Amino acid sequence: MPSEDLVVVTNGLTKLFGDFVAVNDFNLEVPGGSVVSLLGPNGAGKTTIVRMLATLIKPTSGTARVCGHDVVKESDTVRSVLSLTGQFAALEDNLTARENLVLMARLRGYGRAAADRVVENLIERFDIGEFRDKLVKSVSGGQRRRVDLAASLVVQPKVLILDEPTTGLDPRSRQVVWNTIRELVEAGVTLFLTTQYLEEADALADYIVLLDHGRATAAGTANELKARIGDQRVDVIAADLAGMERLVAHLSSRFDVAPSPDLRMISIPAPNAVADLARVSEALKDVEVEIDEIALRRPTLDDAFLAFTGQPVNATNANNDTGLWAPDLEESHS
Amino acid sequence: MTTVSAITKERAPSDYEPLPARPSTVVRFLRETWLLVARGLRTIPRVPTRLSDVTIQPIMFTLLFLYIFGSAIHIPGISYKNFLLPGLIGQSLAFGVIGAGVATATDFGSGVIDRFRSLPVTRLSVIWSQVIGQVVEQILGIAIVAGLGLALGWRPHHNLATIATLVGLILLGLIAFTWFGVLMGMVLKTPDAVQGIGFALMLPLSFLAGTFVTIAGLPSWLSPIAEWDPLSPFVASMRHVAQGTNATGSWQLTHPVVAMCGWCVLIMVICVPLALRRFATTAAAS
Repeated sequence: MPSEDLVVVTNGLTKLFGDFVAVNDFNLEVPGGSVVSLLGPNGAGKTTIVRMLATLIKPTSGTARVCGHDVVKESDTVRSVLSLTGQFAALEDNLTARENLVLMARLRGYGRAAADRVVENLIERFDIGEFRDKLVKSVSGGQRRRVDLAASLVVQPKVLILDEPTTGLDPRSRQVVWNTIRELVEAGVTLFLTTQYLEEADALADYIVLLDHGRATAAGTANELKARIGDQRVDVIAADLAGMERLVAHLSSRFDVAPSPDLRMISIPAPNAVADLARVSEALKDVEVEIDEIALRRPTLDDAFLAFTGQPVNATNANNDTGLWAPDLEESHS
Repeated sequence: MTTVSAITKERAPSDYEPLPARPSTVVRFLRETWLLVARGLRTIPRVPTRLSDVTIQPIMFTLLFLYIFGSAIHIPGISYKNFLLPGLIGQSLAFGVIGAGVATATDFGSGVIDRFRSLPVTRLSVIWSQVIGQVVEQILGIAIVAGLGLALGWRPHHNLATIATLVGLILLGLIAFTWFGVLMGMVLKTPDAVQGIGFALMLPLSFLAGTFVTIAGLPSWLSPIAEWDPLSPFVASMRHVAQGTNATGSWQLTHPVVAMCGWCVLIMVICVPLALRRFATTAAAS
């Protein structure tokens, strides 16, 4: 029973494009004030889910409610409580940063004077002053993203949807976006975030849904997901590939060794943590191999993806369905 | 990291400016349409190709056709200026398809339309502003052609009824072809595709439409095609209203105004519902 505290609720949400199943029986309940991250590679269905929530496309079956309002039957109300920042920094290229923001403010319903005040605040808050009167087509990718975010925050939405907000951004701009996101959450905004970056979901989200081929393959907090893939691991990195192969040969009789030749690394489950680290170190003494690094680590979300979908994140990175208008990826403008 | 610290100047949510009460749907539609039309028009002078589309290009074509063709072509009973200018205007109505299509494809492709559609604005205002903006842009081009023509010696009938009829027909034609263009932009999705297909379609049609030479003077195998060219009545009706000339040939040439209105209605009956339907489900690019 969806209570008032649940800000986004989807029930059996499904979207077909022709025969292609973009989203398959997607169920989610997002409590107010939380950050939910849809994590998955290109083509996993993230953008399609976002577009259904933002009332841009209709579900083939199933329902979605935002703040209790049905996205199909009460789409206008949904649009008034929700703000979308799409994947491609959707701004009018031939208007200045400021003109874009004023247009958004006026479309939200502000009069001329109020819109000017709102925009001045946003310009200050997102540090846009320096390029406020530049045409958006001539600013950098990071600056563009800032204007884009500001444009979504002309009013304070109850739900803010960010579709891959940091894809294509340099590390500094990504940091800026992350900080903004954290501040918004403190201000009580519910955030729905899609990302291809495990690190991003890990850093920002309270709750992570792993999406693969339109299906939620796993969900939980970052820690829960990590816990579900199991133990800590001991990683041993050899100085060269031949060394790694010798390690595999020597250790596989005693340990469950998973080699990663790309990284010259072997990984060994360590249910007993430090004790296992000691056992592996001990075993390494018998092998004449130069070791670069040995470490005990908690599982990462990369491991989670491997565990839940059977393949590493990047392996599925090929097709780009997502129901986008323009299939060609527009990268950052920097 | 100056940026980061600047951004931490967070304001309390209560600082948000209160939104005024929402007016009625009709008022919102008009207001939002106006805001979006203004957005489109504002960008014209900033995009060199669009600016040249509505200024330099019509001027160039008018001058080229007037003096190059005009020196070689003699139309009995009418000066070439009086023959060509109404024809050019009739033809340019159809070329509005390309401008509207390119603008639509560009907007949809950039995600701007999706952003507008994700706002609590009346959805019809988003698509109507596209149509109105394009019509206004084309009117600019036509006004420049007409003004230049008048300066160079084009002499149409200039009583009030003629002018009103001309303006009315021009608007009707522009609106119809703009809807066609908006649909094309949504279906073809890229500005390049619209340009390519638009020109491939419109260029032969406009040359066959009797814009530059009389249809009666064409080779006998070609003139029936020209007589039933959908653009022919546009050219013929402009000429008929502006200069009082009567074309001979097919029914649509002997009744050009009725035929032109018929084509416009037909175009809109087909394109408007398709465009609206496409718009409603839009970006379901599939």
